[in-house]
Amino acid sequence: MSAVHDVPTSLPPVQRAVADDAERGHLDNIAPGDVARDGVRHLARLIRLRPLAVAIAIVGSIAFVAGVLVTSLVIGGLTDDLLIPVLGQGEPRGPRLTDAVLAVLGVGVWRAVGITVRRTSASWAQVTVLADIRRRLVEHQLGLSLRWYATQRVGDLLAVNDAHVKLATQVLGPLPFAVGAVLLTTGSMALVLSLDVLLGVTVVAILLLAVTGELVAAWATFSAFDLEQHRKSVVSRVAHESIDGAQTVAALGARDHEVRRFAAVVARSRDAEVLVGKRWSWFRATMEVLPSLIIVPVIVVGALRVSAGALSVGDLVTASYLLSLLTIPLAIIGFLVWDTAHSLTGWRRLAAVLDADDRMPSGVDETGGTDPAAVAASGVGFAYVQDEPAVLHGLDLQLHPGTTVGLVGATGSGKSTLISLLARLWDPGEGDIRIDGRDLRGMQDDARTSQVALVGQDAFVFDDTVRGNVLLGHEATDDEVWAALAIAEADGFVRALPDGLDHLLGERGTSLSGGQRQRVALARALVRRPRLLLLDDATSALDPSVEASILRRLRDADAPSTVLLVATRPASVALCDQIVLLGAGTVQATGTHAELLRTEPAYARLLQAYERERAARGTGGQR
Amino acid sequence: MTQTPSDPFAEPPSSPVLRTLRRAVAAAPPFAAGAWVTALLAVLGSAALLSGPLVVQQVIDRHLVGAGSVGAIDVAAVLRLGALAGVVGLAGAAANRRAVERMLVATAQGTGVLRVRALDRLHRLALLQLQAERRGALVSRVTGDVDVITSFMGWGGIGFLVGLVRVTAAITAVAVVRWQVAVALVPLLLGYAFVLTQSQRVLERAHDRVRARVSASLGAVGEVVAGLPTLRVHGAEARAQRRVETTVEAQRVAEVRVSALGAVLFSSAELFAAGLTIAALVTGVLLGPEATTVGELVAVLFLVTLLLDPVQTMVETLNEAQSAMAGLRRVLALLDVAPEIGEDATALPQDGPLGVEVRGLSFAYSPEAPVLDEVTVTIAPRSHVAVVGETGSGKTTFVKLLARLLPTPDGTVELGGVPLEQVADATLRGRVAFVPQEVFLFDTSVAENLRYGRPDATDEQLRQVVRDLDLEGWVAGLADGLDTQVGERGGRLSAGERQLVALARAALATPDLLLLDEATSAVDPDLEVRLRHAIDLLGSERTVVTVAHRLATAEAADTVLVFAEGRLVQHGSHTALLTQDGPYARLHADWAAVTTS
Repeated sequence: MSAVHDVPTSLPPVQRAVADDAERGHLDNIAPGDVARDGVRHLARLIRLRPLAVAIAIVGSIAFVAGVLVTSLVIGGLTDDLLIPVLGQGEPRGPRLTDAVLAVLGVGVWRAVGITVRRTSASWAQVTVLADIRRRLVEHQLGLSLRWYATQRVGDLLAVNDAHVKLATQVLGPLPFAVGAVLLTTGSMALVLSLDVLLGVTVVAILLLAVTGELVAAWATFSAFDLEQHRKSVVSRVAHESIDGAQTVAALGARDHEVRRFAAVVARSRDAEVLVGKRWSWFRATMEVLPSLIIVPVIVVGALRVSAGALSVGDLVTASYLLSLLTIPLAIIGFLVWDTAHSLTGWRRLAAVLDADDRMPSGVDETGGTDPAAVAASGVGFAYVQDEPAVLHGLDLQLHPGTTVGLVGATGSGKSTLISLLARLWDPGEGDIRIDGRDLRGMQDDARTSQVALVGQDAFVFDDTVRGNVLLGHEATDDEVWAALAIAEADGFVRALPDGLDHLLGERGTSLSGGQRQRVALARALVRRPRLLLLDDATSALDPSVEASILRRLRDADAPSTVLLVATRPASVALCDQIVLLGAGTVQATGTHAELLRTEPAYARLLQAYERERAARGTGGQR
Repeated sequence: MTQTPSDPFAEPPSSPVLRTLRRAVAAAPPFAAGAWVTALLAVLGSAALLSGPLVVQQVIDRHLVGAGSVGAIDVAAVLRLGALAGVVGLAGAAANRRAVERMLVATAQGTGVLRVRALDRLHRLALLQLQAERRGALVSRVTGDVDVITSFMGWGGIGFLVGLVRVTAAITAVAVVRWQVAVALVPLLLGYAFVLTQSQRVLERAHDRVRARVSASLGAVGEVVAGLPTLRVHGAEARAQRRVETTVEAQRVAEVRVSALGAVLFSSAELFAAGLTIAALVTGVLLGPEATTVGELVAVLFLVTLLLDPVQTMVETLNEAQSAMAGLRRVLALLDVAPEIGEDATALPQDGPLGVEVRGLSFAYSPEAPVLDEVTVTIAPRSHVAVVGETGSGKTTFVKLLARLLPTPDGTVELGGVPLEQVADATLRGRVAFVPQEVFLFDTSVAENLRYGRPDATDEQLRQVVRDLDLEGWVAGLADGLDTQVGERGGRLSAGERQLVALARAALATPDLLLLDEATSAVDPDLEVRLRHAIDLLGSERTVVTVAHRLATAEAADTVLVFAEGRLVQHGSHTALLTQDGPYARLHADWAAVTTS
């Protein structure tokens, strides 16, 4: 088989990465001053969450830093007391060597312990704060309204809960060490100053230069990095969409189109990556090179001072050694600046979610009951997005207790919207909805969800057992679960599963067919014995005969509910006591099937479409 | 080209690093562009950084200790030495910076190509159609797996390379200064390398555990985000919160463990450095003044310090390096999977409606569960065929096979006399359109979604197809008409509305064979009948195959195919089948009962 085909082996040439207008809006709030101020606040916020662990890490870090300072003293001491006497002046090595070995070893152990304490407690604080924030985020999101969710992309929300939380907390890693590094740098300067003022001033000047260079390079890299992150998220979004829609892409022969579309966003992300690479190389070079080169002016100035008799050779070695140890600490200070700015971008995305306050407050009315509910909607108006055309307006509706009511309407007439308002997934913009005379908004959440159940077109199945999926936290015996499954005609296939009720359904219930998922979702509603059951085309994936038999069992159940169902087939409609005809976002008519057939041409057109077609074919022959 | 199909979901076996890198370069040449220059710059740059310690040695030996008396220092010589070291050091810094930049630019170019090739390949896998639910796992081949390569190159990769160069250079420098000391250091270095590789295994297991816990907690969070309406309806928020808390805590515990292990490993480098210092000291002192000088030994101590940083960096990045290699292997493994959708460019013979010849067609998603069993049927050009049967009878699989959306089945399917697997993909998609029950829309406007059917369609052609399908009323009711944004996966439209867009999209493509799989199941009956008439009108010059559980479609079709348990059990006109004693009569009776008022 010839599998060779045109594959892209290159992308368009690199362009200068410039943020376009849409991206600029996203990058607008980046100004060095703001980042510095917000960065400090962000650090304070994180530290406040786990102050003890951060404090322990700082102590460990200081212990390590002290170890480093002592090391330089030991090396200087070795030069003066061991190397020069033994190698320079030929004195016997004797006990001097043993002392030196013990000193080096002792300092090494000291530093190792310091590092272990610092790193362990710093990462403990980091992952614990990460977990704290994730819990808080999920708790917050669980309380937000669907109106808010409708404004979000699923992929973006997942990124907030994963990558951005990680980003927001990662600064806790280098923080304790950076505190130690600042101390080490200050300590080094003080030590060198105490040895010799002129040498000290040289060192201070060079260190200040190094830190300033790092700050400038870190800042330049950071702004490029933000652009790159943004473009990478676009790459990820396009990839997800393209693969999600793989079947459609294949069926439409749009593969090349998709690959081109993807290559275009990849090239933009690549351009930003290249920009980051260029700036990052400066940042890195500054961090790595400056500490190695600092030693050159120090040794020159030091030699002059030794020659002037102001400094001993051992002191010069101490000073030089100390500075050579500053490589990592200086880099860490750079990293802290970088990570703080970096964490801040993550935090800002979290904050956008945490600050969202679009919730549907629970009412306080805990009145329950087991009898079928009476439902009344009056003057209900609703739009998903403000200023967009209303989906429902001036809608009045009465459902009598214990009746089965069919909701009939053309595609896009607002059936699903009405059903979701009755379950209080959304609140109406105008008017009110009452159950037994009580406003839905006044009902306590648990009281409402135990009385009203909705089963939608898309059955969502959780990564849990059959039992867990049916119960979803509700309490019921296995007999009750089986009874609910039986009404939903799901008992047969559940019994056939290897572990029955304990069978794990996998993420999104992928081991089940669409019809099986719908029946599990139906059982989930039924096990709660709701007083009001809302079925939004909940049987669309089932064969007509199965659907009819489920509806019949619902009617004959020993604890009947008031049922409102979206109905499209005459047979389903025939099982309803009453029909509500929805059109143009409001109730057009209410009555029995026979009445509406007589009085409402629109209803007859919807319900008798097949019969009419059959009749037309009967008289007019084949098409 | 020898490519063996393999399971792209499976974790690819580990392979030697060099071989993996060679394959990466073969797949994405920009990775290697100018690699030798980059390596040379890195080596030179890193070596130049050693000028610092060397100048210390020179100054101490030649000018301080050797000078004998204070005040006799040759200031000019010290300054010259300093200037030389400064210039060499800065040149080294410049070379280093350039090496980092070149490496990152090459990585950006290479990963870009890798991403695009991986997506291209994903779209060529018929397997993707088979396991829709696992697509998410494959998307990471284009995103996350590539990202780890980039981030490793930016942070660890260059550090690893520079570290390696520095360790070598420092040891060489020690050897140049005093070879006996270098000999004493080598066993320590080897011993430490052994300890590191051993502990890496423990660390790797801990990391595996973290990865598993991360995926569990992300799954739990994903359920909250995607399943919120269901949780809301049943008041199950508290349960979801508990679930998230359990998995997040499990992840935290695993991460604490991994970082404690990492801390111990990292701090061991300090003990290693102390060991090196001691070894250097003892060797130097034992050699005595006859064999070495103070300056030499001080320089050696400095060089040992220079070893500490790269060694710690390498310890730190070892794990990152492993994840990067694993990511690279996963992307390359995907490119190794032979595309089931071939490119053998056999053109379809003629324009106009296509007939289909199916012989002995069998298909199974898994060996133990055959879905289609020896189906043989001829579909004449221009005919309108309805495919009916109970849920699970194999009718959807049948039309998907006609659309070549599943892996190659047993038996033959010929399209216009040409074996289906030989038809060039571009030709096939231009002539055959398939509309599924669950419609996927792209997150853009209605108009742009329609244009997926025909990229060059004019606005007038879009309006025309809307008129042809009698959908003007519906479009007029949308907020912005055809410019209305449909949202992620078309979520702002109802299920029925999404089906309307998909039908219009297929109609716009003017296919010669139109395959509809329950394409109007969520549309109201009146609109469905009108749509079918419109399709009939549009399709008088096309072959149309429709899967439907609403049997009205069968009543209107020329031929009805009745499937039961994967076999074609009846085949004929609606009226003929009604008179036969078979499943069709029963299905139709059920249907008539539920549709008659």
